[in-house]
Amino acid sequence: MSRAVYARVFSRWAVIVWLLLMLLPALPFMSKFYLLLAFDALLFGTIAMSLDLLMGYTGLVSFGHAAFFGLGAYASAALLERGIVSLWACLLLAVLVVGLYALVVSFFATARRGIYFALLTLIFAEVVYTFFRYTQTFGGSDGIQGVAAPRLVGDVAIDSPLRNYYLVLVYLGLAYLACRVLVTSHFGRVLVAIRENEDRARFLGYNVQRYKMAVCMISALLTGLGGALYPGRSAFATPDLMLWTVSGEFIIMVMIGGLGTLAGPVVGGAFFVLLQEKVSSYVDWYFIVIGLVLIFIVLFMPRGLLGIRDLLGGRRWRTTA
Amino acid sequence: MAHDGVVLEVDSVSKSFGALAALSRVSFAVRQGQIFSVIGPNGAGKSTLFNVISGLHVPTVGRVRFRGREIAGFSPEAINRLGIAKTFQITNIFPEISVFENVRVAAQSRARESGRLASLWRLPDVEAGAAGLLRAFGLDAKRHELAENLSHGEQRYLEICLALATEPTLVLLDEPTAGMTPGETKEATALIRKIAAARGLTVLLIEHDMSVVMGISDRVAVLHFGEKIAEGAPEQVRNDPQVIEAYLGPPEA
Repeated sequence: MSRAVYARVFSRWAVIVWLLLMLLPALPFMSKFYLLLAFDALLFGTIAMSLDLLMGYTGLVSFGHAAFFGLGAYASAALLERGIVSLWACLLLAVLVVGLYALVVSFFATARRGIYFALLTLIFAEVVYTFFRYTQTFGGSDGIQGVAAPRLVGDVAIDSPLRNYYLVLVYLGLAYLACRVLVTSHFGRVLVAIRENEDRARFLGYNVQRYKMAVCMISALLTGLGGALYPGRSAFATPDLMLWTVSGEFIIMVMIGGLGTLAGPVVGGAFFVLLQEKVSSYVDWYFIVIGLVLIFIVLFMPRGLLGIRDLLGGRRWRTTA
Repeated sequence: MAHDGVVLEVDSVSKSFGALAALSRVSFAVRQGQIFSVIGPNGAGKSTLFNVISGLHVPTVGRVRFRGREIAGFSPEAINRLGIAKTFQITNIFPEISVFENVRVAAQSRARESGRLASLWRLPDVEAGAAGLLRAFGLDAKRHELAENLSHGEQRYLEICLALATEPTLVLLDEPTAGMTPGETKEATALIRKIAAARGLTVLLIEHDMSVVMGISDRVAVLHFGEKIAEGAPEQVRNDPQVIEAYLGPPEA
């Protein structure tokens, strides 16, 4: 990485938070249960961050990100089920499968504007869901169950909650780095221009559809890689991972955290997972509580959870210019 | 064909929308370094003409040549990359980013990285050019403001900055002084003239306000109901009876 990129991307806060997360498992109350909860928080936080590339930076709302996530999970689970336990093989297959699917989706979805993008991503995702749910190709409604743990190298299996936690932490770190580089680059500036005024961007010589397709692909691949890590934690991949409500939850995570901030959606995703866990252990109608929290945040904290910085007098957080 | 300094050639262009003929057989040629104005009352087809040249519309009949190359039917982004930049009658900027970032994103469109893989991680250094443009239009002090917070006149200037930042050889200005006070209009007109000369630009200007055009143009064409009814030096056009009639209505008996 050249010095110029380093200076643009380096964030002391991000490094400090990431290092603190490294120490998290050392806390006395971090049981296996909490480690898995932390895994989910970081995994969905990272996926929300990937979605933020579309929602916050480019102004495109995808209602189909659950399909990228689910396809990544199935790609990984299908290999693990067949005794191919290399983590790298799982990730590679997820990239291929999700990449191919995302290429088709993004080609058609970006050809139309506004609401059509959201609808097309939703429809494609529903087709994928239906295929996995109602055909027996990959286990139907049961999905793929009881797969082996993936192996990092040789005999080193990611078979404990602790190892899974560190794996997802590395994924978060690398994905955050990639997203930071991306949004502060030439490419990122064009994305923001597209969000602000797509027509004008065309008249400045930018092939807008190409940029939209590229950012869709990147967002989908980051999400799919996250999905590929999921069977290692849960030992399964089921069609429920691809339900459209899951896509909706991703959108909510981004909104809770704050659009166009990258770090915000990570916090939003983690917050969502923890809230869901805490509230659902007391009441069945936990989604009502989450809904109320969301309404509160949208009404009173339009910049999301990270918008608290503004209230405390920090600099304007949305530096997506 | 020899085109002795002809930058843009509009060759019997017609454009119809259904039964409505917005342009019928309009022809003219703009030469290197000229400020060429197209005037006409509202609804004369001026904006349609610009949309045809800038790639938004494909002409129904006729050709548009830029430096000898046929461009009719090209996409707006392709036409911009060839060196034609357009400003908009209704201010068309990036509202929620800073003034400087507006110009930067326009300027980096011409950077080496643009459209290449390296653009995913590199940020081209276009600061100097962008800052220079802002200085030329007196927007330097506002560079960190959000574009939407600029005054109307400043937004009009930013609009022109965006176009110029893509380093065009031909600029299409669609009523650049729309909504300005007479004082601002005069100032803006002088500024456009000065900057066009300094950068060696060829300018195609659309106006419905005749007074703006007379002070600035080398040559004027008049559109009326989609047809060119006159072309010539500003004084010549001003005194043309057909033009007077188009603007003021038929003489009273």
